[in-house]
Amino acid sequence: MPRAALLILWPLLLAAQPAPLSLYLSVEDGDRLIGGLGERNFRLYEDGRPVAFRLAEPEAPAAITLLVEHSRASWVYQSDLQAAVRAFLDAAPEGHWYSLATYSHGWRVEVDFTRRKGELWAAYSALEPPMWDEIDTYDAIYEVLEKLEMLPGRRVLILIGSGLDTLSARTLQEVQQKIESVNVTVFAAAAGSMLRGMYEPYLGNTARMDLTRAEAFLNLLARKSGGQAWLPRFESAYPDIARAVFLTLQHQYRLVYESSLPRDGKFHRLRVEAFQLAGDRRRDFRVRVRDGWRR
Amino acid sequence: MASDSASCGRRVLAVLLAELLALGPLPAAAQAGKPPAPPLPKEVFHSMQESLQRPYLDLFEEAAKLEYSPAQIEAMRKYLDQARGFCVREYRRRASAHQKERERAQADLKRRTASLEDPERRRIHCRIQNLRILESQTQMLAEHAIPVAYENKKAKLELIEKWPAELQRVRAEIASGAYHQRRFGDVKDIGVRELVPGQERDVKDGQEAVRQLKMTGLLPPELDNAVIRNYVADLARNVAARSDLRVPLNVTVLNSKEINAFALPGGFLFIQRGLLEAVEDEAQLAGVIAHEIAHVTGRHGYKLMKRATIASIIYQAAQLAAVLLTGGAATLGAYYALQYGFYGLGLVLSLDLLGVSREFELEADQLGVQYAWNAGYDPSGFIRFFDRMATREGYVNGASWFRTHPPFYARMVQTRREMMFLPQKPDLRRDSEEFRRMKAELAKVAAQAQEEEKNKPSLLAPVQGCPAPEKIEYQPGDPIEKICPVPLS
Repeated sequence: MPRAALLILWPLLLAAQPAPLSLYLSVEDGDRLIGGLGERNFRLYEDGRPVAFRLAEPEAPAAITLLVEHSRASWVYQSDLQAAVRAFLDAAPEGHWYSLATYSHGWRVEVDFTRRKGELWAAYSALEPPMWDEIDTYDAIYEVLEKLEMLPGRRVLILIGSGLDTLSARTLQEVQQKIESVNVTVFAAAAGSMLRGMYEPYLGNTARMDLTRAEAFLNLLARKSGGQAWLPRFESAYPDIARAVFLTLQHQYRLVYESSLPRDGKFHRLRVEAFQLAGDRRRDFRVRVRDGWRR
Repeated sequence: MASDSASCGRRVLAVLLAELLALGPLPAAAQAGKPPAPPLPKEVFHSMQESLQRPYLDLFEEAAKLEYSPAQIEAMRKYLDQARGFCVREYRRRASAHQKERERAQADLKRRTASLEDPERRRIHCRIQNLRILESQTQMLAEHAIPVAYENKKAKLELIEKWPAELQRVRAEIASGAYHQRRFGDVKDIGVRELVPGQERDVKDGQEAVRQLKMTGLLPPELDNAVIRNYVADLARNVAARSDLRVPLNVTVLNSKEINAFALPGGFLFIQRGLLEAVEDEAQLAGVIAHEIAHVTGRHGYKLMKRATIASIIYQAAQLAAVLLTGGAATLGAYYALQYGFYGLGLVLSLDLLGVSREFELEADQLGVQYAWNAGYDPSGFIRFFDRMATREGYVNGASWFRTHPPFYARMVQTRREMMFLPQKPDLRRDSEEFRRMKAELAKVAAQAQEEEKNKPSLLAPVQGCPAPEKIEYQPGDPIEKICPVPLS
């Protein structure tokens, strides 16, 4: 190939290379996070086919967004929301980028990414009482994921809310497709669970269904993104949840690989095995990782 | 593939052309009224304009030789007011035009969102992002930089008008020895004289203020560079040792681009990296530090916050900061203001806590000049730095040493008078080898911080790689007319 042609085509050839994917996962043995594993302790499969990968250092610093429900309707469990935000900010280690966004009818950035996490608490405690009764969780998550998707590096969304949705323009299916297609890990800490426990016997079927759907939604977000969801019964659980989230982030592994999946807009399954060999015995661990990609 | 590339190329070209159109001068019809006509004959007007560009220090020397009539000065004063009004209106109009254009683009995006292809969506995202930048830039100029620049011009005009007579009075005071009787005139007793008793009692308040400030989480991180930290601490302690400070000086250098320094009661001095970057020589830095130390020795904070607790002061300020830093993001363009280094810690610091008031500012100016001089620094450093900052876009908000009240003229004259009253000292220092070493080290830290800033993620402006509009530059020392042309004849 003539040199001039190579010079012209080189950027196109580079562009044609598939961008390597970073897959974040944590390895657990019961309640314990397992660290110190090497490449040989993992196997990665896309649609059942083994894929070559390398183990890399997690990208640092991570961009972490706290997305907090802030609606008139959530006033009854406001103390849950407040306790959760406080707990997360107390537990958040220095060094990452943190931002705060709230949602009710629409969402807004309260604090853009900063290393001074105190700005987030200052902003949260100075929030005006919410104007809207709506809780448009799907819209907020969809749009925040869309924003986070544009950022380079490691991205984490911490959702603090009930999981209820009242008037979103986006559907559950759209949100699910979005979470399947973006590389953002979602952790969810539910608010209002204690109230639910107290009043569940008195609720009608529709209300019960709504609450069940809300919990299922939070679990879905976590499962699809490789994160985790908690539905605490008491406010006092939030500090432990917050510590668990940041401990998980600290112990996550990053597998880097080039996906061979076609960009067909369909969902493709992903499976990661983590194990240790002791002689001829293989000990398998639980892997918390997204369950696939939509490409 | 070829057609895709061509189409992509055309889109990039379209974005660039659109940005150029947005940056270019607005059509005459869309401008903010008629610019004011020069009120004086061309030669006089030009000569006066040139004089108003001169540094304060030169004007103090030259004012007596400038022969402008009171009518000419009055006409120029009116002209400056009109020019300022015109310039501010013009930039407000531009901000408003950018805002309207952004809203149209957002409405267009909303209408077409379902049918948009990715490249077109990206083009619109870039357009909206850039309009936000332009809107914020023009707002900053209209509301802050332009008024301050004209304030400074008017102060210089006042200096031309009044300094010759004031100079006569100063000389008469020196000749008669009356200047010894001025307040704090006992400069040979600095360090021994009793300025305001009870500095020691402020230490506890200062410690509490530092603790509260740290609790807000808004304090920038400390600068992690021993050369810079040691240099600043040595310089500050040198000034403090030759001041009326009776308490140990606690120096912290913060890694933030704000051009600011502040001292809390009890001798807790904070210097921000932006200030170290902005000063041109050691005497300028010593001047600002001496000014801050003067607030502590004068116990200005104690006098102003007698009735409030430290916690309530910091809490209220932090709430205010939170509103400005966050809640106003959509309307005030705070995101971009933060980029300028305009908003920051200055918002959290209560002026009461810092001892900043009309009366105390003049006192701190006077004492600051005395301390810098006593420590062996050229006391003109403060005036030179002040002059430089007055023509700087995005000058810092909430800085103690840069307040517009009392007026610039009063502060400059007060400082100059004090300089003239001070006994002559040989070898007053302006610069040093250590200062240059610190600057070299600072350049590395600043480059690193800039790199980090560049990589900072954002939810507000997340569209990476857009062809950004040029920043409308208004550099220190530039005439304001550079960004706001008015007829010169």
